[in-house]
Amino acid sequence: MNRWLTHTLVAVFLLACNIGFSQKGEISGKLAFEDGTPVTFAMVFLPSVQKHALSDESGFYQLTDIPFGTYRLEISSIEVRDTAYSVNIKAIDVRRNFILKGADATVLNEVVIEGETEERLLETKGFAVEVLETSKAALQSVQTNDLLNRTAGIRVRQNGGLGSSVDYNLNGMSGNSVRIFVDGLPASTYGRSFSLNSIPPALIERIEVYKGVLPAHLADDALGGAINVVLKKQMSNNLNASVSYGSFNTFQANFSGMHRSESSGLTVKASGFYNYSDNDYEVWGKFVRNILPNGRYDYVRAKRFNDAYKSIGGQISLGFTDVKWADQFFVNFNASDDYNEIQHGTYMSIPYKGRFTESEVQATGITYVKDDLFTKGLEFTFNGLYSDRLTVVNDTVKWNYNWFGERSVGLNGEPILTPQGAQQGAPTINHINRNIITFRSGLNYTINANHKVILNHVFFDIARTQQDFKRSAVERDFIGTRDLRKNISSLAYELTALNNRFKGSVFGKYYQQRIDRMDPLLVEENGEQVRTEDRVSSNRNTTGFGTALSYTALPKLIILASGEKAVRMPSENEIFGSPGENIVENIGINPEISNNLNIGFQAGAFHFDEHKVSFSATGFLRDTRDKIVQRINPRINDAVQTNPYENLGKTQSIGFEAEVKYTFEQNLNIILNMSKFNSVFNMKYDSNGNVFDNYKQQLPNEPFFTANASAQYTFTNVLAQNSALNLSYNFGFVDRFYTTWLEIEDFRTPRQFIHDFGANYTFPNKKLVVSADVRNIFDKQVYDNFAVQKPGRAFYLKLNYTISNL
Amino acid sequence: MNKLFSKFWLFAVLTVFAITACEDDNGTTPEEELDAERWVTVAGAVMGDNPGDGNGGTLIYAVNYEDAIDPTKTINLYDEGEPVKSNRTARLQVSEDGNTMFNIAYAGENGGEFSRFAVEGGANYVEEDVTVSIAQYAGTSPRWAKLYDGDKTGIAVNVANIAANNAENEEDFKYYRGTATVLALDLQNVLISNYKQYEIALSEAEEAEGHAIFRLDAPVLNQAGDKLLIGTWMRKYDPATGDRESEWERLGTKTVVVDYPSLENPTVITSTVAFGDCSGYRSNVNFLAEDGSIYQATQRDPNGSHILKITSANEYDNSYVFSLDAALGVEDVYVQTWRYVKNGIGYIAYRHGDSDQSYVARVDLNNRTAEKVMDIPNDADLSLHQYQGFLVYGDYLLMAIAPIGKDGNIYVFNSQTGEVEKGATLANKPGNHYIGTF
Repeated sequence: MNRWLTHTLVAVFLLACNIGFSQKGEISGKLAFEDGTPVTFAMVFLPSVQKHALSDESGFYQLTDIPFGTYRLEISSIEVRDTAYSVNIKAIDVRRNFILKGADATVLNEVVIEGETEERLLETKGFAVEVLETSKAALQSVQTNDLLNRTAGIRVRQNGGLGSSVDYNLNGMSGNSVRIFVDGLPASTYGRSFSLNSIPPALIERIEVYKGVLPAHLADDALGGAINVVLKKQMSNNLNASVSYGSFNTFQANFSGMHRSESSGLTVKASGFYNYSDNDYEVWGKFVRNILPNGRYDYVRAKRFNDAYKSIGGQISLGFTDVKWADQFFVNFNASDDYNEIQHGTYMSIPYKGRFTESEVQATGITYVKDDLFTKGLEFTFNGLYSDRLTVVNDTVKWNYNWFGERSVGLNGEPILTPQGAQQGAPTINHINRNIITFRSGLNYTINANHKVILNHVFFDIARTQQDFKRSAVERDFIGTRDLRKNISSLAYELTALNNRFKGSVFGKYYQQRIDRMDPLLVEENGEQVRTEDRVSSNRNTTGFGTALSYTALPKLIILASGEKAVRMPSENEIFGSPGENIVENIGINPEISNNLNIGFQAGAFHFDEHKVSFSATGFLRDTRDKIVQRINPRINDAVQTNPYENLGKTQSIGFEAEVKYTFEQNLNIILNMSKFNSVFNMKYDSNGNVFDNYKQQLPNEPFFTANASAQYTFTNVLAQNSALNLSYNFGFVDRFYTTWLEIEDFRTPRQFIHDFGANYTFPNKKLVVSADVRNIFDKQVYDNFAVQKPGRAFYLKLNYTISNL
Repeated sequence: MNKLFSKFWLFAVLTVFAITACEDDNGTTPEEELDAERWVTVAGAVMGDNPGDGNGGTLIYAVNYEDAIDPTKTINLYDEGEPVKSNRTARLQVSEDGNTMFNIAYAGENGGEFSRFAVEGGANYVEEDVTVSIAQYAGTSPRWAKLYDGDKTGIAVNVANIAANNAENEEDFKYYRGTATVLALDLQNVLISNYKQYEIALSEAEEAEGHAIFRLDAPVLNQAGDKLLIGTWMRKYDPATGDRESEWERLGTKTVVVDYPSLENPTVITSTVAFGDCSGYRSNVNFLAEDGSIYQATQRDPNGSHILKITSANEYDNSYVFSLDAALGVEDVYVQTWRYVKNGIGYIAYRHGDSDQSYVARVDLNNRTAEKVMDIPNDADLSLHQYQGFLVYGDYLLMAIAPIGKDGNIYVFNSQTGEVEKGATLANKPGNHYIGTF
């Protein structure tokens, strides 16, 4: 694992100072490992002239505007051994390719913050982006969602323990404004059984979180931002496995491995995961009460009893890498399923028994990547995936239960029927089938070092049918179908200028969405009842555009700005509803439009002896019209706890986030971040021209102020030579917020302070890592959603085993 | 109107009422010494996402009776009011003396939770430290009403899980039915005192066509105190497709009658006069009058709303025909809510035709006449569809009337003379409206 932890910084030496003043040239080429796979995002540096560049996905690098002469050229990356070369620039266009050795384990004492190169790449593009390297976290018993939650500007809101439904808030935008991608494809293609809930950090290379402004290659109508999960891409032969066990009978296991034949380029990749938890953690407090026969409350401390979660999944890819006709060609197969018991609805106050969902997915697809297709600098990528998703919502138990999992009894000792027939609503065994086709293709043309054009197209088609086996045969015959089709085209132009100090891109996006709804009907024809189909379709299209700019004002100060007129088409769930997620249909919903702006800087790293500090801060604006939100309050005629999505009107979110990173002697590592925003109702006048009372009032149910701190300390050579002990501590803070428009104290969440602690020990052979975690050390009541308590103190133990170079 | 006059007027009211109070013989109209210090709670609904939706919650504020009817006073509910602990518009009721508010929270984490507040003036409502939840029986969005039995009892009702008899088997279709719950809440001891759950059958032929009771609401106790009458909201399914029909040939208005206090033996009585529902919306639409009859206003009635009469024998009096279309001379009258006052006089809040504008009319049940009240604002933004609080005080009825987003007033209707006086000004805010006096 060390090469993932290793990042080497190279001392700066000038080999020769024989610089000519009259002529300038450029140097470019490719960086590759010994097996030919490209070295991506490595820094190429000419110290004497302070010029640097990063290699791109294909390993290509380019440095321009260099006076003729001989230079020392340094290459560094977390993936390679640091290397220096002597190069002679004596022509306008010098081409040098470098073959590099993978980073090895012996330089552990040079560990610094992981992911710096990744961030450096992205910061040069100007987007407001957070990159989470998962390699370190993968050793701990930490969920992917926990990692996101510790990141500036992201708030993960989970409705309970492992596996429960999750909502992501990015800079005050949430719900379906935030899109999740897996390797650039919408995660909905994979279904809920292959999601951030189930994919362990160990299978993830990194997570990119784009706030407000999305690059063209992540083409989707995600107006609040996107979370792109990049699954492991490493091209060296390896096998990695881990198991973990902990509180609430939580068992998790995963493996990943890959093998490539040097001679033929034939490559096999496989990974799998298994998660199980009873989630039977204790809950207590004012929302946890048994209702006595006479209606009085009996406040109790109880274990959750209907909250088990299980997911299992795997992915296998077979194909060729670095062959003549393809840089990458894979046929992928992905299968997963999960089982999720649901303990309660939107609020914890009424426990459910026997309500659960099951889902399974089989997805088959093709990946193709080829650089220099037809002509130099033209890269073609294609991803296609067909998936078959099945979800079953099962809720048939007709009695009320108390928090001890017993039937509630009435005044005469008899069990009480539930008010709606089952736990959450009417009894249901609803089978929802979705067939999804997703294509994503991209053409990147690098005209030269300064100009690049990107063309991207995404096609998404979802056909949905459902059958509720708690309905009579006749009723099931008359269930409608729903189909949704989306096309999103984007075109971007990237410019690099002023000796790499200025980088910018402009992009435009075209969105088109078609929805077909079919409802069967009976009509009378010649005195007979005939089944016909009532078909309705809606076709919407709209455009968006944006830009991202970065400027290196001083060597250690980069200024970033990005803006986008972002669009989001209403999603399938928002239009058609989803019984499993308490959402009802709203066919008339409109697209959401938001003008998003981010302005920030990144400063550092500044070195003072053994201290290293870097800072970053971003201010943001999200000016949203026709914002789509889940209505907080249900309408009177609807069943309780099922809310539709709708266009709330205008809202605005203004805020900022800041982060400080501090490193001491490469052993101590501290990160502090905070995010604060004001997300307000932005409709000013009623029909009489009077100003609304809640104009500029904070929207209810938004966690607007959060902060995180994490500290890590590494001891080397503990107990044995070449071993390492790593201690980590995380602190999270969420300020109080109201959950209703009227600012009633009883409807205000408590202020939260969450402490987690973890340790891992790397054995000298570097293959085995043992980790232990304590989550929520002080056993505090923790809430993401109002009145839904999250797990208390929990302990986990994990074993990781890695074999490199099979 | 100057203040002196209003004081005089109040004095007159007090005098008249002091005389009539002695005549109270059967407790049908709760009466007491008219007290200028009696608390009058004013309630308003705050907008959520859209003006007039009332989804932002409920505020209450108490003034004494003297101030409530004083047009020189202003009530700034939306600045000074106390929020009611309810995720959505609260379902409020008040004790007969005005000193206690009762609420069952509607939806949200505490949905179905009954609570009691002592009224101490202004925004000062002191919650009593006893809560009771009817959520397990009636859900977290329950419908309930207080009986006119001296603040003793509240009744909550619910219909669950309407399904075809053959939903899970291959039998022939016979009916769509839900499970009804009728629950009695002891308001004094704050606990559930009784409840029953059962299926309520219609006639075989009605059920074969797919008719079903979709909702129960607006319970009222009969004069003998031995039967509870509960309004219904009907629905029809198409047995051939399972679809809920949006338009169909409606059955005669139906009321469910159960024994009281046992809550057992549900039966259904059917009117041949009207074909609408009688469940009301946010407030009761069934009232017992001094003649021992129960009068009910219908909604969604194909021929416009009617007021129906149920005799003390708990049967519809089908010889009593009171069409509000006919009485008001307009079409498609829809009674949003109403309140019986005394001596055969009541007031209805209604709209008619395609317009959403609300009006108020004084109805004379004995003569079957209705007369639109002209003294309230004639304003397209006046919407009383969520209106729930009528304060009956002797001959008088107090209503809080303000168009959405506009200031309004408390109005004092003299049921016996038909006179209308303006009371305190109700300051409003954009998107908000007033929903009652208690």
